[in-house]
Amino acid sequence: MRAARTAYPLTWRVMDALEAAAATLWPARLDRALPWLMLAPALLLVGLLVLGLIQIGDTSLRTLDTTTFLLSEHYTLANYRRAVTESLFATVATRSLAGSLIVTVVTLVFAFPYAYVMVRTPSALLRKLLLIALFLPFFIGQVVRAYGWLIILGNQGMVNEALGLVGVAPIRLLYNYPAVLFGLVQYMLPFAVLMLAPALTAISEELELAAGSLGAGWVRTFLYIVLPLARPGLIGAGIVVLTLSLTDFAMPAILGGGSQDFIANAIYDQFFRTSDQGLGSTLALLLVAIGSLLVGVVFTLFGAGTLAMGRTRR
Amino acid sequence: MTGAAGKQVFLWTFVVAVLVMLSAPTVVVLGASFTAGNIITFPPEGLSLRWYARIAGATDLRDAFLRSLYVATICTLVAIPVGTLAGIALSKYAVRFEKTIQIYLLLPFTIPLIGSGIGLMLVFGEARLLGQLWPVGVACCVINLPFMIWAVMASAARLDPDLELAAANCGAPPLSTFFHVTLPAVMPGVISGALLMFILALNEFLVSLLLVDARIVTLPVQIYNSIRSIITPDLAAISVVFIACAGAAVFLLDRLVGLDIFLKSK
Repeated sequence: MRAARTAYPLTWRVMDALEAAAATLWPARLDRALPWLMLAPALLLVGLLVLGLIQIGDTSLRTLDTTTFLLSEHYTLANYRRAVTESLFATVATRSLAGSLIVTVVTLVFAFPYAYVMVRTPSALLRKLLLIALFLPFFIGQVVRAYGWLIILGNQGMVNEALGLVGVAPIRLLYNYPAVLFGLVQYMLPFAVLMLAPALTAISEELELAAGSLGAGWVRTFLYIVLPLARPGLIGAGIVVLTLSLTDFAMPAILGGGSQDFIANAIYDQFFRTSDQGLGSTLALLLVAIGSLLVGVVFTLFGAGTLAMGRTRR
Repeated sequence: MTGAAGKQVFLWTFVVAVLVMLSAPTVVVLGASFTAGNIITFPPEGLSLRWYARIAGATDLRDAFLRSLYVATICTLVAIPVGTLAGIALSKYAVRFEKTIQIYLLLPFTIPLIGSGIGLMLVFGEARLLGQLWPVGVACCVINLPFMIWAVMASAARLDPDLELAAANCGAPPLSTFFHVTLPAVMPGVISGALLMFILALNEFLVSLLLVDARIVTLPVQIYNSIRSIITPDLAAISVVFIACAGAAVFLLDRLVGLDIFLKSK
């Protein structure tokens, strides 16, 4: 007969020791608090952001002393006064807000048919291709994609060279507002489609067939059946696109060439060009407030859409 | 029926437009990286691999890429335990203040990236951590954490709670149940979440830009700094590294969990 020691494998011993340790460290009567123990690391990690917001709030109340380049010791609201009165910031804010609204509408218009075809197509191959075309740019990152557009749209870029071949003088396609908006739309498309797709999957195809058999054309079916039922998806996608494009940094910086700054660029400049951390923090906090306000308004008006992180009820 | 044809034309016009918008930069960067000329022109001046030879010898680009890999690894290593535990807890238990916790855990998505980045910059600056690379990894983990939690929750929701009860009924203590029943069940979510975290941290730009200094730039920041001056094809060649990584990530994601999972309605 083999010795008991070898009959009881090492892994079991390890597990026993771990179980014992776990039982001592976290006795069964604390079981009710177990979910909190499991959530604690995530809560702490996200706590870094809360700390960051507090820090931003604190810095935003201090003004920059231009002689010593140090932030003032006492609190003042001077930065907020500057942020709301100086016309530069109003211009930047209007540009960002108007831009993100246009981007949201255009993105949704383009993303909806794409998501619809992707969900409805009977061909698994086509669906996979459309998904890959969506994920690849999503994973490539903003900077490389913006770089690709620089090559295409630049003054000596592909479009202008091609126009030159047919005798058209070069057009300035970059470093203007439409270029930034275009860059944002193509950057937001994957987000929008991925938010729309689950909502469209939830719409039963039979409903559309039923509408068709009752005599509705595809346009009417689309407007009166598909669009209203896709509302949660449209809201989710709309919020994501609106907030992401409102607060984007890379597209205005790269495709706008410094002349088409959005709020994020203005904040960056305050920190790294003018070194006015106080005013930069003020702008950052105002942006967080505007963003949260927008999300809050859309949530209360339309519900959380596909963004809800709820426990799936069984 | 002309109606059906009209619908197809309508839909496909948009689909093709979107496909062009999504793919054009990638295709162009790929093409530009193989040019033989000194500048990027159209049509290209012949094919060559000289720019690849150039980046293979450029230590600054290689170092920047290694730093990006390091940041992505830190991010993933932090995200896996943190996100897995939180995801399981949220889908398995009815926690008190569930709504509040959900809103709180969504903060990384609701706070604009520039706000999170500046906040973390101030916090890390206060703690004298700026100038190191690992805080950048932690920052990337924080800002993308909801992705990890979502991925795990999606898997955990499909786990029948009776299985865990059955394991316990057979005498398995809590940790054994966790490692042999719960964890294997949520593994697809953990893997896809980890993959997402890795690739998003690899090409994270804005938060990197705010947290690194000139000595420790990551690759996206390096590319950003370079395209602001003159655009040379070696940047296209190094960008292909990102395209290759993205391609690998899409392939892995498809093999491991299937891309179709993103079409499922909740």
